[in-house]
Amino acid sequence: MVLRTVLEALTAVMLLSSLALFGRRVRAIAGVMKKARPIVRTDRVGERLASVVEHVLLHRRMFRITFSGILHFFIFSGFVVLLIDIVETIGEVFIPGFTVGPVLATIVDVWDVVVLVGIAMAVYNRVVIKPERFAGSDEKDAFLILGLITAIVSGIIVHDSFYPFLAREVFHVPDPVARAHFLGWGLSRLWIALGWTSPVAAGAGYTLGYLLDIGVVFGFLAYLPYSKHFHIFSAVPNIFVRNLRPLGELVPKVPEESIAVRSFQDFHWKDILDLYTCTECGRCQAVCPAHAAGQPLSPKMVILKLRDALNERIAAGGWQEAPAAPALAGGVVSPEELWACTTCGACQEACPVFIEHVPKIVGLRSALLEDGEVDAGAQKALVAFDRQGNSFGQPARKRPQWAKGLDFPIKDARKEPVDWLWFVGDFAAYDPRVQDLTRLVAQLLHLAGVDFGILYEGEVNSGNDALRIGEYGLFENLAAKNLQALEKAQYNRIFTTDPHSLNALKNEYRKLGFESKVMHYTEAFGELVAQGRLTLAPLRLRATYHDPCYLGRWNRITEAPRALIRRTGVDLIEMPRHGTQSFCCGAGGGRIWMEEAGMEERPANQRIKEALALPDVAYFVVACPKDVSMFSASVTAMGLEERLKVVDVAELLGVATGLLQVREVQLATS
Amino acid sequence: MKIAVLMKDVPDLVEDLELTDEGQLAVDELSFIPSEWDDQALEEALLVKDEMGQAEVTAVAVDTGDVDSMLYTALAKGADRAVKIVGEFGRDLPNRARSAVLAEYLKTAGYDLILTGVQAIDDVDGQVAGLVAGHLDVPHASVVREVAVAGGHVRCLQEYSAGRMAELRLATPALLGIQAARKPPRYVTIAKVRQVTKSASLEEVEGELPEVPTAAVRRLFKPQAAGRAVMWEGDPEAVAEQIVALLDDRKLIRS
Amino acid sequence: MGPIVVVTELEAGRVADASQELLTKSREVADALGTTVTAVGFGGQAASALAGAAADAAIAVTGSAAEVYSPRVYERALASLLKEQAPSLVMLSNTTLGMDLGAALASFSGQPMVGYCTGLSVQDGQVVALSQIYGGKLLAEVEVPVTGSIITAIPGSWPAASAGGSPAVAAAVAEPAPEVELLQVIMPESGGDVDITRSDILVSVGRGIQGPENLELADELAASLGAVVSCSRPVVDAGWLPRSRQVGKSGQTVKPRAYLAMGISGAPEHLQGMKDAELIIAVNSDESAPIFEVAHFGAAVDILELMPVLAEKLQGRAG
Ligand SMILES: Cc1cc2nc3c(=O)[nH]c(=O)nc-3n(C[C@H](O)[C@H](O)[C@H](O)COP(=O)(O)OP(=O)(O)OC[C@H]3O[C@@H](n4cnc5c(N)ncnc54)[C@H](O)[C@@H]3O)c2cc1C
Ligand code: SF4
Ligand code: SF4
Repeated sequence: MVLRTVLEALTAVMLLSSLALFGRRVRAIAGVMKKARPIVRTDRVGERLASVVEHVLLHRRMFRITFSGILHFFIFSGFVVLLIDIVETIGEVFIPGFTVGPVLATIVDVWDVVVLVGIAMAVYNRVVIKPERFAGSDEKDAFLILGLITAIVSGIIVHDSFYPFLAREVFHVPDPVARAHFLGWGLSRLWIALGWTSPVAAGAGYTLGYLLDIGVVFGFLAYLPYSKHFHIFSAVPNIFVRNLRPLGELVPKVPEESIAVRSFQDFHWKDILDLYTCTECGRCQAVCPAHAAGQPLSPKMVILKLRDALNERIAAGGWQEAPAAPALAGGVVSPEELWACTTCGACQEACPVFIEHVPKIVGLRSALLEDGEVDAGAQKALVAFDRQGNSFGQPARKRPQWAKGLDFPIKDARKEPVDWLWFVGDFAAYDPRVQDLTRLVAQLLHLAGVDFGILYEGEVNSGNDALRIGEYGLFENLAAKNLQALEKAQYNRIFTTDPHSLNALKNEYRKLGFESKVMHYTEAFGELVAQGRLTLAPLRLRATYHDPCYLGRWNRITEAPRALIRRTGVDLIEMPRHGTQSFCCGAGGGRIWMEEAGMEERPANQRIKEALALPDVAYFVVACPKDVSMFSASVTAMGLEERLKVVDVAELLGVATGLLQVREVQLATS
Repeated sequence: MKIAVLMKDVPDLVEDLELTDEGQLAVDELSFIPSEWDDQALEEALLVKDEMGQAEVTAVAVDTGDVDSMLYTALAKGADRAVKIVGEFGRDLPNRARSAVLAEYLKTAGYDLILTGVQAIDDVDGQVAGLVAGHLDVPHASVVREVAVAGGHVRCLQEYSAGRMAELRLATPALLGIQAARKPPRYVTIAKVRQVTKSASLEEVEGELPEVPTAAVRRLFKPQAAGRAVMWEGDPEAVAEQIVALLDDRKLIRS
Repeated sequence: MGPIVVVTELEAGRVADASQELLTKSREVADALGTTVTAVGFGGQAASALAGAAADAAIAVTGSAAEVYSPRVYERALASLLKEQAPSLVMLSNTTLGMDLGAALASFSGQPMVGYCTGLSVQDGQVVALSQIYGGKLLAEVEVPVTGSIITAIPGSWPAASAGGSPAVAAAVAEPAPEVELLQVIMPESGGDVDITRSDILVSVGRGIQGPENLELADELAASLGAVVSCSRPVVDAGWLPRSRQVGKSGQTVKPRAYLAMGISGAPEHLQGMKDAELIIAVNSDESAPIFEVAHFGAAVDILELMPVLAEKLQGRAG
């Protein structure tokens, strides 16, 4: 009797205090979220629920790293099962004779074992495997939590093991064995052997187990929101409110003032929830090209630094003002970190709880930019965008000059109607090395009998990079110029050779009212081949293909280029990182113009090495003009010209259609 | 401390310069940008202000057309005031006349320090700093960097060839022709310029077109285009001879 | 008609090359106009330096204030000299001194000014100057009145005087000008890494250098020219030279008086950083390398053979 009263009292005290602590914390976080900028994330409920099932219950992204996926699944499922134990244990204390029945009880014990295996695996992972992605994570916290979970599981077994000796007198249960807790029952054999079965001994043992279990659970509840394990609560809602709009759309609607983030209020509420959902797993860090290149950026640390800063400000009482606190952009997260990002999106793609790093990084960049702090090279590009409409600082008039030397005229879509409108893009138009390719694309279209045209000097840079450097106003100006030219043009469909332009036209111009369907040239040429308008002689060579981030990851166009490459008779060998998991060349987000200080190994060079490891692959196929520059330079710098050739999909088509002589692209069949 | 920065815009050299049949520049075809050295001068002034705390920076330009956006940009970057000198001035206002107009305004405006670019590309006498200083008869120095103000004096470094420099101290009011700011001119976002254009205003001051001594420009023409390199034939020995002769001719060999 | 006054600069006690050029040119113009040349120099060494100058008369401005260049002192001294001399033309070099004094004197004395001058001639009794404007993209042909117009000429525009003269050297004294005070002269720092953007001549090496062991050749060549070694990106990537030496898009933008591209192919990213150099000489064993599209002079020979020969020849000359 006394025992139950004591346990009841203890339970009540623990419950109330932990709920109070938990509530205080959650209220504080919710307070920040309420003050943050609005964003719509509760539409399309069906899809959202489906994605919760896919990514919470089925652990889709988690299983990309098999070992971690399994161990997490073990522990995660243990939490679900733990609920049964909590109900049962508190129930039996408060309601005489309460039990969850033999089936559920057995499940609890089976999962005790599963969780312990999971914990053993987790410890092995952290102590022996030690993946680099954990660097910078709070290891102590991780072990503390693993310890607490072990305590809970042990507590369950311990109180169950003393239960039989108290069942009748204290809990008014006639048949203790019916509870089917086989682990506890097994351990109770030991107590019998030791003679620890007296009401006093068993009462003490039970209380110990109860505290280890329920006590730690409540402790956990109070501690969680202060630790990374808050994700136990926040992951489900965070995945529910994930971004379901087009992935490549960085800014969902025209901002009222600026996109700059100077205080936590300038984030969207989902950004705040993100901070408290990060599990410190480091999967984002492991795929980050900037991190791999030895630069100071880790997407994980960006999230953690912001979270810690917000925590400090909440603790100090004035998170909104915090005048003495370091600036978010440049202080909490350093300029070097922010400018190192290529906006490749690999981090977001990897994050099991759908944290969105890129908008945060760009928002912070924008604040730096407003204060005039920007890399000199990027600044030059921005000024050139503003003045000339291209990053090369070349006169707008020279944009169509690449077309000189073609033996057929190209229509000006602003002056006469065309079937296909080609948005050429800066690199394709101005980079002397890429111009050959651009001409080749024109020849291919001509060969296929496509009625096509371009916007001539009416085209300017799409603004995709300007936006990702943080210059929304410039993006808007550039977009307005393009939209003005597009307005004048008459066309049935629009395509582009440049993935960055594709992304802007397709995703970022929608908020400005541009809704045409935009295609990448690999999609467009795929159709021409399918319609038999281009006849291809098989090339018979082995090649690998690099997915540009703005094509594969941000726009999910991974199959069209592959299908087209295969149609040219190429035996396509995949690099380990491909499709939506491709590895960035390092050029995106304005990086192509920025200084490389602190770079240990350029991402493009790492990528070339990845391709070199493939057996007998002598061709590295790309589908983005910037990639042509980036990877050719890597191959040159690494002295690999004889071993690996960088070719564009258009060149494969050129040779397969007989437009190009084999020598011109050195496609010696191997 | 009141600091003035004299600014002007010049044709953007990125564009090809087209000449009319009369050998004049086809001004209508050109796009104009702030003179790069004036941009440097503005940056240096803003840095001086940052350092001193209580300085006031005023951007000053003669209204030869579309100078508003240049002045608003200066305000957006951190200038406190912007003065536009209005009058009968066209795009073709020679620097000599511009300098006289500026000097007339500056005489009574009470600035302690006047900065401007060391040169402007658009005239045979584009050295506005010296021209204005001659009118005002104030201490001045051109081709300078690293301006600092202390105790009513201005310090700066004047650059000579081959990396030699001198540190000068000038009594105020002083006028400096800036070669380069300590830091590259800061970037200012389009949004900020837009916002300043809405919220701030330019001060307008009347100016008059003065009589100035001129050297008449007969015509403008383009230098012979370089084209592809002149190739020297022969073995390394012969090529070395050619290179030495060329460097010698261009006075690039140290004797 | 008044004399042509040439404001000379001294270097190590001698009339500097750039000023010698002015003297040569002024002599030619003075002969055509039927007038004389007066050379002006500053400092204690001016009298001896000018004693052999190719001029008809000379004035040495002395006094403690005139020893080292100080804008205000020189300007004052020249202003009063010009009043006295009533010159037809005043010639300065487009150096710091010329940029400081030329424009100020022009507006002070109400005379026209022609800067960035690269050519000067007399046509039908009219003095005509050629002046570079728009960064050298255009040339202006200007009629210069002989009322005392100020001309500043770009160094290297004319040959320096071969023949000297023996002018009588008059003396003048410069007044101090406390409102502009010279605090110290700073010599270029040695040690630390060099700033390639400030060098007049760059010997720039690309992958054609083949290995770090050959950099010595470039160093020797640079030393014989008083130049600095810069490079293309792969050379930095290979760790052969520090990043501060890289020319191009992701490196430095340079505009030296001469750029010697040794074994550089001329990729667009590289060209972006150096195409505005005044003189570009490219050496590349591949005759069709794109660098030759922007170079002014070129040769298709092996740089490893060329560089030592060239260095030797240059050393011979300097010695
Ligand atoms: C975003 C980006 C930024 C870049 N930024 C820069 C930059 O800032 N600066 C830069 O330089 N590059 C930059 N690059 C790299 C650039 O694309 C080229 O790869 C690089 O400039 C090539 O350097 P190189 O000319 O030394 O080498 P190569 O292209 O390999 O040329 C070597 C040349 O040497 C010649 N040669 C070989 N042996 C000899 C010999 N014995 N004698 C004479 N000639 C010989 C060869 O014919 C060849 O033409 C950048 C690339 C990218 C994508
Ligand atoms: S977007 Fe790419 S570069 Fe930027 S943080 Fe994420 S993974 Fe790293
Ligand atoms: S942001 Fe996502 S991927 Fe990165 S550490 Fe946090 S939970 Fe892991």
